[in-house]
Amino acid sequence: MVRRSVTPVGQLLADHDVTAPSKRVPPTRQGGRIVCKELAHTFVNARTGESVPALDTIDLVIEPGEFVTVCGPSGCGKTTLLRAIAGLVTPTQGQVLCDDIVVRGPGKDRGVVFQELAILPWRTVRRNIAHGLEIQRVPRRERDERVAYLVDLMGLSGFEDKYPHELSGGMKQRVAVARTWAANPRVILMDEPFAAVDAQTRLTLQEELLRISALSSNSIMFITHNVNEAVFLGDRVVVMTKRPGKIKAVVPVPVPRPERTVKAMADPQLVSLTDRVLHLVRGEVQ
Amino acid sequence: MRTKTEAGADGTPAGLRLRPPGSVTRSLRVPPRALPLLFVVPFLVIIAAWVLAKSVFDVSDAALPSIGDVVHASNQLIDWGILPYDVSASLYRIALGTVLAIVIGVPLGLLLGSSRYGVTMFGPFLRFFRAASGIAILPLLIIWFGFTETTIQVAILYTALIPIIFSTMIGVRTIPPAYRDAIETMGGGSARMVRDVYLPGALASIVVGIRLGVGYGWRALIVGEMLVGAGGLGFMIFSAQQFHALGQIVAGMILIGLLYLVIDRLVLAPVEDATVRRWGAQRG
Repeated sequence: MVRRSVTPVGQLLADHDVTAPSKRVPPTRQGGRIVCKELAHTFVNARTGESVPALDTIDLVIEPGEFVTVCGPSGCGKTTLLRAIAGLVTPTQGQVLCDDIVVRGPGKDRGVVFQELAILPWRTVRRNIAHGLEIQRVPRRERDERVAYLVDLMGLSGFEDKYPHELSGGMKQRVAVARTWAANPRVILMDEPFAAVDAQTRLTLQEELLRISALSSNSIMFITHNVNEAVFLGDRVVVMTKRPGKIKAVVPVPVPRPERTVKAMADPQLVSLTDRVLHLVRGEVQ
Repeated sequence: MRTKTEAGADGTPAGLRLRPPGSVTRSLRVPPRALPLLFVVPFLVIIAAWVLAKSVFDVSDAALPSIGDVVHASNQLIDWGILPYDVSASLYRIALGTVLAIVIGVPLGLLLGSSRYGVTMFGPFLRFFRAASGIAILPLLIIWFGFTETTIQVAILYTALIPIIFSTMIGVRTIPPAYRDAIETMGGGSARMVRDVYLPGALASIVVGIRLGVGYGWRALIVGEMLVGAGGLGFMIFSAQQFHALGQIVAGMILIGLLYLVIDRLVLAPVEDATVRRWGAQRG
C-alpha cells in the first residue's frame, strides 16, 4: 500500500552536466533502498520504568534515488523513525533494511543531517565538510577536490577557513548539508535541518537542496513538521499520525523536482495538494 | 543540572563560560589596552599596606621584615646559589608531577566521561578523594615512602590527578550527544570519537582541570618539601624559620606565589587561547 514507485529524478539527471566546467563532476552512485518492516519503538524511562510508545508498526519503502518527506505533528515519532533508519536507535520491534541488509547500527551508507546540525565547533568549514571523507581515508587530493566542489555548490566560498561560530545560522545549515553530501552516502536522512532559520533563508535552502538532490542520485528522507516544505521538497509526502506514530497517508507530488520553483508551487493543483496534506496533519493535531 | 552545579562549584567550566566580548570594557569605561595591567592594583595595595604597617604603626622587624630586608635576603640567597637550586628543584617536581597527572588523568577522565555509568559510579568517589587532599595524605605517604623524593612526587601526583580526572570527565559529559551521533553515522569508530570529539570537546574543561591541578599540586609540593626536607622552596622557607630569617621567609613566599602566576599565565593560559578561545562559544 505504502510502496509506490516514483521515477528517481536524480538518476535521470545524473548525467546532466550542470556543474561549472572547471570542477569535476562528483562521483554519483545509485541511491540505496530502505525498507522498514513493521517497525515499532517504545521508549522506557530508566528511572520510572514508565514506557512511552513512539512508533507503531511502520511499513515504508524508500526507493533508490527517491526524495521522501515525512510530515506529522510534533512528538509523533518522526525523529525516532529517522534514528531507527540511521541505526542510532534499535527498534523494539520490526526491522530496517538498507539494500536488503538488516540495519544493526549506524554506518557510512546512511548519512544524517541533524536537527542540531552537529557540525564540530573546533573544525573549520573545510575540515567539517571533509570529515566523513577523512574517516573513510579518502586520499587528500580527492578529498580536497570534493570539498571544493561542495563549497562551491553550497555557496560557501570564502568561508572555508572560518569556524562555525563565525557563521550565520543559514551558513551553518549549508555546512551541515555539505558535510553529509561530501561523503556521498547511498541514503541521506535529514531531521528538520531548516527548522531554526528564518523563512527567507529557509526558502533559499530548500531550493538549494532541490538543486543538489537533482545533481546526485542519493535516496533522501527529509523530516519536517512544515506542510509546505514537505510538499515543496518531496516526491512523496508521508503523513504520520500523532504519537504513537503510524503512517496515515502517502501523498505523491506529481511535479518533477527540477521543475519546482516557488512560482510553480502556486499551481492550483499543487495548492490543493498542500491543502490536503495540511488537513491530514491538522486532523492529527486536534 | 547536577553536573552543572558541580562544575561551577569547583570553578570548572564556569571560568570559561564566555563573557560577551567587551562587556567588561564597556562597564568600566577604560580603553581595552589599559585593562591587562589592572591586575597589578591589588598587589600595589598590599605593598602599600605593608609599607604603612612598617612606617606608621612601627611593626618590629622581628614580626614583619621591611621591604629592604626582603630584597637583601633575596640577593643573598641568589648570591649563595641557594635560591636557583631550590627554585629549580621545586619547578622540576611540579613539572614532573603535572605531566604524570595529565598523562594518567586525561585518559581516565575520558574513559569515565564517555562510559554510560562513569559519572554515577565514580563522581562521589572522586569528590571524596578531592576532600582528602594531598596535604592530608602526607603523613601516610611519609610512613610508606619515608622522607624521600617519592613522597613529594606522589603527593603532587595525587593532588593534581583528582581535579584533572574530574574536569575531564565533566568536560566529556557536557559535549552535545549529537556530535557523537554525527561521528557514528559517518562511520567513525572509538579512536575517531576520542580524537575528533571527546578530546577537543572536553579541552576547555581539561585545561581548567590542569590549572586547578597545578594550583593544588603546587601547594602540596610546598608542604611536602617542608616535611621531607630535601630542598625546594618549601624547605627553604621552613628552614629559614629556624634561623628566624624573616626576610628569607617572605622572599620565599613571594617567589612561591610569583612562580605559580608565571606558570599559569605563561604556560596554561596560552594553551587555552590557542584552542578554546579560537573555537568560540562552543558551550553557548
